[in-house]
Amino acid sequence: MENGLSKDRTDTIKFSGQSGEYFKLWFVNMFLSIITLGIYSAWAKVRDTQYMYGHTQVDGQSFRFLATPMQILKGRIIAVVIFIAYMILSQMNPIAGLVMALGFLVAMPWLIVQGIKFSMRMTAYRNVRFSFEGTYGGVIVHFLLLPILGAITLYLAMPWVVQQIQQYINNNITYGGKHFEQKTSAGQYYIAVLFSVGIALLGGAVIAGLGGATIATAQAGPSVGLVIVGLAAFALFGIVSAVYQSIIYNHIMKTLSIENVVSFDASMKTVPFATLMLTNLLLLIVTLGLAIPVVKIRTARYIASVTEVTIKPGIDELINTVEGSDSAFGEEAAGLFDSDLSIV
Amino acid sequence: MITISGNYQLAGRSEMHPASAILYDTGQVIIQHNNGEQITDCWPDDYQFSDVIPGLPVDLQLADGALFIPSDSGFRWPQLTSQNLLAEWLESHWLVVFSSVLIVPLFMWAMINHVLPGAAHGAVAFLPDSIAESMGEQTLYLLDKTQLDPTELSADQQQQVTQLWQQVNTRLELPKDKYQLHFRKFDLGANAMALPNGSIIVTDDIVTLMEDDPNALIAVLLHEVGHVEHKHSLKMVAQTTATTMLFAMMFGDIEGAGELILGAGTGLLQSAFSRDMEREADEFSHQNLPKFDISPAAFADAMALLLNSHSSNNESSEGSDTDSEFQNTLSHWLQYLSSHPETKERIESAQQAGKTE
Repeated sequence: MENGLSKDRTDTIKFSGQSGEYFKLWFVNMFLSIITLGIYSAWAKVRDTQYMYGHTQVDGQSFRFLATPMQILKGRIIAVVIFIAYMILSQMNPIAGLVMALGFLVAMPWLIVQGIKFSMRMTAYRNVRFSFEGTYGGVIVHFLLLPILGAITLYLAMPWVVQQIQQYINNNITYGGKHFEQKTSAGQYYIAVLFSVGIALLGGAVIAGLGGATIATAQAGPSVGLVIVGLAAFALFGIVSAVYQSIIYNHIMKTLSIENVVSFDASMKTVPFATLMLTNLLLLIVTLGLAIPVVKIRTARYIASVTEVTIKPGIDELINTVEGSDSAFGEEAAGLFDSDLSIV
Repeated sequence: MITISGNYQLAGRSEMHPASAILYDTGQVIIQHNNGEQITDCWPDDYQFSDVIPGLPVDLQLADGALFIPSDSGFRWPQLTSQNLLAEWLESHWLVVFSSVLIVPLFMWAMINHVLPGAAHGAVAFLPDSIAESMGEQTLYLLDKTQLDPTELSADQQQQVTQLWQQVNTRLELPKDKYQLHFRKFDLGANAMALPNGSIIVTDDIVTLMEDDPNALIAVLLHEVGHVEHKHSLKMVAQTTATTMLFAMMFGDIEGAGELILGAGTGLLQSAFSRDMEREADEFSHQNLPKFDISPAAFADAMALLLNSHSSNNESSEGSDTDSEFQNTLSHWLQYLSSHPETKERIESAQQAGKTE
């Protein structure tokens, strides 16, 4: 009996990771990393990612993380050495630090490309790896020149710039040698920004009015009013970013596909997503960060549950085009210098 | 002999078939289609197993890259050695988990509060003076370009402060040429700062503010000398570098809300370091004031003067008792954000030092 598809199959992404299980894995790995003076952290990263990938299923099949701990460890050591040198030099000698920062700026596009490339090539679905074909020049245009353009247009062009950047990344991801096609429209980005700014202004006005009234009338005086205003502003911040992110996430998913292989759909809703983000933040604050693994599982489960994947017949005929011997340096360096990117 | 049902995933391609694996006691594995047609026949030398991860099936990896993936995610192959299973066992054993949840935060706390500061202080002793020298020169250069303007004090006023400064130098027997006093105009009001090479900057406003209270100015100058003698700038650099490294190493992969919290945590720590250093510099001032026949209480006077000058434009608010209590609590928590200890606390400890002296 063959498993071949004759017609399209559509289902949501299934995420089967469990908060409790992952909490244990995360803490034990952290503990092992500590007692091995950081060496085990490479193994920890592999196991952690294998857990998250393995529990993410599309059409009944899991993703796989194929990097080996030694690959990660080597990349990590080189990145750490350079990072320490940079930190010390830039603080001891601000001018030499400036020179080094310039050198770093030159290397940055390369690091970004290497970083995305590594994480893509180490990701496989049904024994076929992903890859990234962005170039140094392309990254300069999208990550340096376009943002400058966005800034000199007083940020009026910024939504378009962000759209271009995300489209550039996704268009250059390949799976089994086939390019993902991303056809976002800048209009949706402007709509998302207008909506969020509108809600921010409206909410801001309400909070200001409410705050003024509370402060003027409350028995307890100005401080209680301040706290109420602070909490309201906190909630508003969560709602505004959820509005923006849900519009953009849905739009990106709806316009992403590989011809005859896969297409996506997403129905992220503002209120549940805002609730998730705010409760996550509260959890982190209340537990002083101990809830990090729980937060990761909650987020992954929610995003999977609102994302639909349609698998098409071409999925059965893909051939892997990628070898797996890349260096993890770019990814590790980009991670340390905090320039790694979330794809969506 | 056991039969395991699952999927056979071809090597290097997306094609896959439902299949079953028959495992013999000899270690031989036969993988076949569900209709009984054989796909492959392999021996222990030809296969290995994927990492064992909680909640996930363990794949049989064939030498050519093909996989057999059991449908039952709880199935564990009998050939898996205890070495294969160790990580999963550790990750699910309650005692290990419990110790980890206890030790990880404890470790972070110990590293941040004891190990890293200790190491940073140790390392600073080995740094050559030339580093402090160039760090100070460049910082002054940058400050002059950005925040500071040439002084507008009269020659008289400058002369008075310079005399006080010379007293400080001689009484403390400070190394000649190491320390230099600079006058600068600073828009944000009365302040003094110390650079690692021994450059002490006093702003026009602080000189004017303390014109009638030279003892207070001496207390402030001593505080700044304390920063330099304790090598605070260098320690700060070493300590921040080390904690940033620690955070990046331990939580490097965290994004979103977690990253926000980490950023906040790093900021809070930096403020805490800074507060400790301020206290140390205060203490230096308290200890050395008696050499000038001045009571440490002069430091309290200086703080009170500074407090007044900075809060003159902040109205003091009247409220009920519960409210002021609430505000005390609030300001108590807010001080974790501050780079300096609460002024009230600094005044009290100076007065305390004045009494015990």
